[in-house]
Amino acid sequence: MTIQERFQSLIDEHKKILYKVCNLYCKNRDDREDLAQEIAVQLWRSFGSFDERCQFSTWMYRIALNVAISFYRRENTRARYVLSDNERLLNAIDETASQSEEIKVLYRFIEGLDALNRALVLLYLEGNSYLEMSEVLGISETNVATKIGRLKKTMRQEVL
Amino acid sequence: MLDLDEMKEKWAEHGKKLDESMRLNRQVLSTLNLKGTRSALQRMTAWLALEGAAWLAIVIALGGFTYEHSGALRFALAGAAVDLFAIGMLAATIRQIVAARKIDYGNPVAAIQKQLEEMRVLRIRVTQWGLLAGAVVWAPLAIVVCKALFGLDDYSPAWLWANVLFGLSLIPLVVWVSKRFGETMGHSPFLQRLMQDIAGHNLSAAEAFLASLAQFENQNQSLL
Repeated sequence: MTIQERFQSLIDEHKKILYKVCNLYCKNRDDREDLAQEIAVQLWRSFGSFDERCQFSTWMYRIALNVAISFYRRENTRARYVLSDNERLLNAIDETASQSEEIKVLYRFIEGLDALNRALVLLYLEGNSYLEMSEVLGISETNVATKIGRLKKTMRQEVL
Repeated sequence: MLDLDEMKEKWAEHGKKLDESMRLNRQVLSTLNLKGTRSALQRMTAWLALEGAAWLAIVIALGGFTYEHSGALRFALAGAAVDLFAIGMLAATIRQIVAARKIDYGNPVAAIQKQLEEMRVLRIRVTQWGLLAGAVVWAPLAIVVCKALFGLDDYSPAWLWANVLFGLSLIPLVVWVSKRFGETMGHSPFLQRLMQDIAGHNLSAAEAFLASLAQFENQNQSLL
């Protein structure tokens, strides 16, 4: 298996990370595709330095979230063009239409959070342990626990 | 009332549906790799390298001009003043390249975002100081350019001071225009960013993000 084939197979295995990070940081479908491609490029560029000291998913979360937060914060500096479906990196069903009411409420709650807390919520919802979350975000486990506790409280207060 | 833990279950169900419907387009992924597409950071580093090369060429050319005219103090001083400005810009560009090359996106989010934002602050400061110094250096630059390109040697101290004052008077005007029209320059993202840099809006945003990062890293701070 060549390095490129190994990379593709790992990305395929973890494509959900790519999809969910893009969905969390971009509302528009073309923006999501731009971000997905930018994350894929960065993953490929950094793949050589992946030394397996951490899990692939941890490393992929770090890259995807770092690129997504930068993308989210960056001014709109690039010309956009509309992509056809066969030019898209990730193809899925029309997600918005298939979302349950609860998921829509959750997305609305997440939209009210800043870029860093969005990452925290995503990692929590994806079932990562506090240790894994602390490894991705670079904050202590206690800090993760405190923040999750506060987020739960905020959610209870805001989402009625 | 919805709870984040209940949401976790709904989210997992939602994830399962996604797994069934989602397809990764391997052809697009291969094309991305084969094309050697550059990431945003690489594009920025390449641009900085180009900028650094341009400043280096200017520094060398100005050094040559200053040396050639070492006998004529007025030209040597003008050349040296502009060269000093160019050296400062070159040093600032090199500093940005070094900072960009240190960034490894595979490191934890808080640390990388901090590095990226500090780089952004540095870039904005370089733009602001470049503008400020450029306004002062404008007059000696005119002397150097007129002499080097056209062999002109026709200026008086009054002309020199008038140009320095003209350059300085432009600063508040440029800042005012940037503050007033910076956000409406939607058709030119580059100009929009430049004007937002000059107006100080981007610097404020970067500083606010650095503060929110510090808050994020500190568990004793409130969440929202």
